[in-house]
Amino acid sequence: MAEKHKPAPMVDEVSEFEILELAVRELAIEKGLFSADDHRRWAEYMETIGPAPAARLVAKAWVDPEFKKLAVADGIKASLEVGIDWINDMPSHFGTPSDYCNLRVLEDTPKLKHVVVCTLCSCYPRPILGQSPEWYRTPNYRRRIVRWPRQVLAEFGLQLPEDVEVRVEDSNQKSRFIVLPLRPEGTEGWSEEQLAEIVTRDCLIGVALPRADRKVDDKRPVHPAVKPVKHH
Amino acid sequence: MSDSSDNDTGADPRRTLPDLDTSPIPLLEKVRKEGRVWDDLCEQYGVDNPNPPWKVYLDSTCEVLAEHNCALPLLERRWEEDELSEDIYMDVPFPERQLLALAHSMIRRGLMDEEELARRMEAVDRRLNSA
Repeated sequence: MAEKHKPAPMVDEVSEFEILELAVRELAIEKGLFSADDHRRWAEYMETIGPAPAARLVAKAWVDPEFKKLAVADGIKASLEVGIDWINDMPSHFGTPSDYCNLRVLEDTPKLKHVVVCTLCSCYPRPILGQSPEWYRTPNYRRRIVRWPRQVLAEFGLQLPEDVEVRVEDSNQKSRFIVLPLRPEGTEGWSEEQLAEIVTRDCLIGVALPRADRKVDDKRPVHPAVKPVKHH
Repeated sequence: MSDSSDNDTGADPRRTLPDLDTSPIPLLEKVRKEGRVWDDLCEQYGVDNPNPPWKVYLDSTCEVLAEHNCALPLLERRWEEDELSEDIYMDVPFPERQLLALAHSMIRRGLMDEEELARRMEAVDRRLNSA
């Protein structure tokens, strides 16, 4: 007997915030600030991007020394090999105000760890890494990572030996960055596909290190808050 | 050993911007106080999507406002969002506070006014809740 199809749970309620978002958008379109079609194309594009291409770029660099040289020398050109065209993929076809076309791939070494921030706002290499996480946008992270990088990395669970230099790269209107971390032990003989599975978003920002025993889609433990915040 | 940033010029370009009026806007205050945030809705309905479905549209609105006519430059919007997020929208979670900050910036910049936004919200409310 066929299993009964169970619909996924959904929010069956229209919130004031949902109404506000649509009202702002409709008024902006009516006033000619942008067109409905431009908006739709952006939304469609936004839903296609994520960190998988950057993970593939790192995995390819780990197994192919020539590609690694290319990635470090010309991140935009290397991106093409993992299917990302920084110029023509964008709805505007000339990059965007927030995604300028200069990707730099920062190679970690045993004595050098890179981490990425945008101290001015929240610039992020979205074409190859998707939307930034909320913490990346917060003034807390942006102010503190440049002043106390070691302490902030420790808060992410990344304790680095004292003899490892931490270099914070500040995104700006001209450049975007991703980190090429060291290939972890225990991954000898792995395929590119296997390697890509352990390169998480946080590894690519530089606040975590890839591990052979942790995949991107692993379930993470959830620890309930001791004092959960209630908004209402 | 040096723990360093590559862009520490000491200059903050936002200082050249005119001050944003961060005083509360009654319509947005009402949404802030009465609107149900995504976390609460998820808990009630057993949904685990990290973001509300409207977030992608909000992000798109922010992008297209910075394109073409550049009605609201991206950096200025982000700085205003930072300022408002540390002030009157501090107790609102993300991305709801991003939305409130965007609407606040647009009203204060004269891109739309509070009354017409209130009227449009009423119309949208009727439309979405009519089914």
